[in-house]
Amino acid sequence: MTFLQPWLLVALPLVSLPLIIHLINQRRFQTVHWGAMMFLLSARALSRGYSRLRHWLIMLLRMLAVAAVILAVGRPLSRGWLALAAGGRPDTAIVILDRSPSMQARDRDAADTQLDTGRRQLAAAVATLGAAHTVVFTDPARPPLELDDPRALADLPSAGPAAAPADIPRLLQAAYDHIRASAAGASEVWICSDQRANDWAVDAGAWSSLREAFAALPQPVRFQLLAFPQPVAGNLAVRVTAARLERRAAACDLVLSIVVTREDDGQPSPQPVTVPVTIELGGATSTVEIVVTGREAVLAHHAISLGAEAEPRGHGRVSIPADTNAADNDFYFVFAEPAPRRTLVVADDDEIARGLELVAGIPPDKSATAEADLVPAAAVATAAWAEAALVLWQAPLPEGDAVQLVEAFVNRGGQVVFFPPTQPDGREFAGCRWTDWTAHPEPLTPEGWRTDEDLLANTRGGAALPVGELVITRSCGLTGEVVPLASLAGGAPLVARVATQQGGIYFCTTSPAPRDSSLASEGIVLYSLVQRAIDRGLESLSAARQLDAGAAAAVLGVAPASWTKLAGGALAPVDAPGMQPAVYAREGRLVAVNRPVVEDTARILPADRVDGLFQGLSFARQEGRAGGTDSLVQEIWRAFLISMVLALIGEGLLCMPSRQPARAAPNASPFGAAA
Amino acid sequence: MLTDRQPRSFLDPQSLARLAGVPLVARTPMVGGVSGRHASPHRGSSIEFAEYRKYVPGDDLRRLDWRAFGRSDRYYVKEYEADTNLRLCLVVDTSGSMAYGSAGTTKLDVARRIAGSLGYLAAQQGDAVGISCVADGIVQSLPPRRSPAHLRLVFDVLEAARPDGGTRLPEVLHELSETIRQRALVVIVSDFFVPPPELERAFNHLRFRRHDVATFHLLDPQEVGFQFQRPTRFLDLEGNTSIFADPVDIADRYHRAVESYLAELRRIVLATGIDSHRVLTTDDVEQTLARFLVGRASGQGARR
Repeated sequence: MTFLQPWLLVALPLVSLPLIIHLINQRRFQTVHWGAMMFLLSARALSRGYSRLRHWLIMLLRMLAVAAVILAVGRPLSRGWLALAAGGRPDTAIVILDRSPSMQARDRDAADTQLDTGRRQLAAAVATLGAAHTVVFTDPARPPLELDDPRALADLPSAGPAAAPADIPRLLQAAYDHIRASAAGASEVWICSDQRANDWAVDAGAWSSLREAFAALPQPVRFQLLAFPQPVAGNLAVRVTAARLERRAAACDLVLSIVVTREDDGQPSPQPVTVPVTIELGGATSTVEIVVTGREAVLAHHAISLGAEAEPRGHGRVSIPADTNAADNDFYFVFAEPAPRRTLVVADDDEIARGLELVAGIPPDKSATAEADLVPAAAVATAAWAEAALVLWQAPLPEGDAVQLVEAFVNRGGQVVFFPPTQPDGREFAGCRWTDWTAHPEPLTPEGWRTDEDLLANTRGGAALPVGELVITRSCGLTGEVVPLASLAGGAPLVARVATQQGGIYFCTTSPAPRDSSLASEGIVLYSLVQRAIDRGLESLSAARQLDAGAAAAVLGVAPASWTKLAGGALAPVDAPGMQPAVYAREGRLVAVNRPVVEDTARILPADRVDGLFQGLSFARQEGRAGGTDSLVQEIWRAFLISMVLALIGEGLLCMPSRQPARAAPNASPFGAAA
Repeated sequence: MLTDRQPRSFLDPQSLARLAGVPLVARTPMVGGVSGRHASPHRGSSIEFAEYRKYVPGDDLRRLDWRAFGRSDRYYVKEYEADTNLRLCLVVDTSGSMAYGSAGTTKLDVARRIAGSLGYLAAQQGDAVGISCVADGIVQSLPPRRSPAHLRLVFDVLEAARPDGGTRLPEVLHELSETIRQRALVVIVSDFFVPPPELERAFNHLRFRRHDVATFHLLDPQEVGFQFQRPTRFLDLEGNTSIFADPVDIADRYHRAVESYLAELRRIVLATGIDSHRVLTTDDVEQTLARFLVGRASGQGARR
């Protein structure tokens, strides 16, 4: 319970007033010489316990009445029974909104979404608190929005729904920076979220540093979480996992892979449901039904004939009927002729060069075309950099003009994998340098590798690449700041990545030559690594790209005026490009922005897991429901006044003399006639 | 008859003059030394016929009923009731509790008036008057005598009585039961702040010794009404104990205790057959005494 006028609580010692008056009365006694002590003694012996209890009850009720008056004038606020952290009016109220698509969920019988409910309740709560400043954080990449009137939060356009996930740790970091920079006083941080795992990233290392940073702040900071942790029953989400053009002799087909995901609402065996999926393409609409029996249903390779004269690129949308979450019922897709899988191989060892050319030149799909060009180290300036997706570099690190070429290639989104040269010469690139070759009399095998992401990640089916079966007989030393993707015994990296804004720079510390490793003979790992790198590089070359909302903001934000919005983006028009589901076009290239795939499958974190993130900080949670009309914070002084009245009534009842039999006046003879 | 010229504060001559019209009589036969106006268990020479008895040698021939002899040819002696004087034993409680009086008049003051007046009235009709002042024992005692000088001594004892000490009235009454030699009218003036069962045994003891027992139960109105308002420290008049109490809290139970005590006393009075009068310190003593005297006069002539 908090108070809007906490300074009035200094009057709380007045609660002892009845006690003091009682003690003063006890001091003001009269002394009487008394003869009839036997009656007095027996009177004290008669039901003394009840008398004392009644006496103390009266005292207690009087003290309660005084306490209720004082608490009432302190203007107490109710924050739910679980939030009993003491505190007064904060100087700054910080609102962190989770605008992710999952927050668009609503109950079947409610009109408001979770986000709408949260905004409305937070607006009322912050307005009641009467903080001097109200700051709203919705996107860590954008500056916070300071509100003159907290009630405006309920209708704030930029606080509307987004397709991007909320990065709660980054938003909290932004809030921390704001508190530090603005030298705010006592602050209250309200977080409105549905506790999805992808939004909270509870395993991120940032949480511990955030806790320490907030705990070290000189001003008190309280955290209040307005959580919507209930799974949404019956919610379906649709997405397109692949959209590609397939040209045949006299026709051209658009092949779509559509996935319908059902929200895990705790039911062990959900009922099968038939979902009509509407596909909009070039003004034409078609519907295909998908039967969802489990949590997910896939419609793979659904071909739509476009005709022989079809445009080489285009965009469309798939949608499902309205359900409890409108944000995941639509999905935009773009398609174009696939770019050739072109790879440049720069090698100083012919044997290795042939091996790499072979690995890069075999496409993973029969419909794709793959090309691998051998480029001598001296002729890199004349190579077709603009058309390449990947560069495999087994030569001394670039120098001179080659450095600029490679850097430009990487900044464009290209991928480079460096293998150690035959003779390391001490050149440096991207802060890294090859040292000397080391022969291992006892062949080494990788001890560990990243299976969750990047080039060595597990397959979509969850199977791990056989990295552990590789045999390394020679490896080259590497110095510089890298992120290992696979490590040898002793911690030396086998495959490492250099952090870059765009594109990718990888180092492999051994070569595919049989004398160095079994990379070529156990070709699965090398082939997967190269083909995945080509896929990544193709993203920058493709005329049609599918981007996740949020990440797309970095791409679209470079020259936002040059992008033309072709569809979508109506949820929050004022939001930054890349935050809303939409289709953009620039110079013949198409970009579709949609919610990330994790938004459809993210689980809801248990409450104790979230609460544990705020361990050591002043934290309270309240749980809401979409469409809820309860106030998070409300003044409850009336309850205290009623308590005071009840206490006074109780005191009066206890003070009332008990009914006695009629007794004669004391001056008259009480005995009647003499016996 | 009385030669006491010293004014006594507890005697009201006008009141005594009005009360003198009603004789003080005993409810049971008395054994006196001289002739008086009270019934005696023995046969005497009064004009009230009692019975015929066969003549035995040695009887006074003057009391032989010749007419009966003439009718039956047998010797009968005609006997008459004897009237004798009364031995009035005044027992006055002088314990500390008798010092209490909320209206300016203490219970001991009232006790003096009652005892003094009764002593005077008894002496006026030729009865013997004695007094015992009792507290936690017999503080002072004068045996009953008929002389006016003795009455003066009784008044002196009354005047000198001071309330002090505790109450051991039952024990004292047991002692008096044994020490008063002949049947007497025992008038006890006290507040009777003792456990009723002990009092009952003492009264029974007095009755067993064939004493005519009369009691004046003195109480102050405040002791009954308990009309205190402020927290009060009650200091015991008969000891060093004190009780601190808020009268508002305790009045209820105090009244219940008083009522229970008075009900028990009423039962004892009925069981023992004593002549009991309850007197508030604010009551008119003359009316109390008049009620007492008239009540006894109506039962005059009882012989046992």
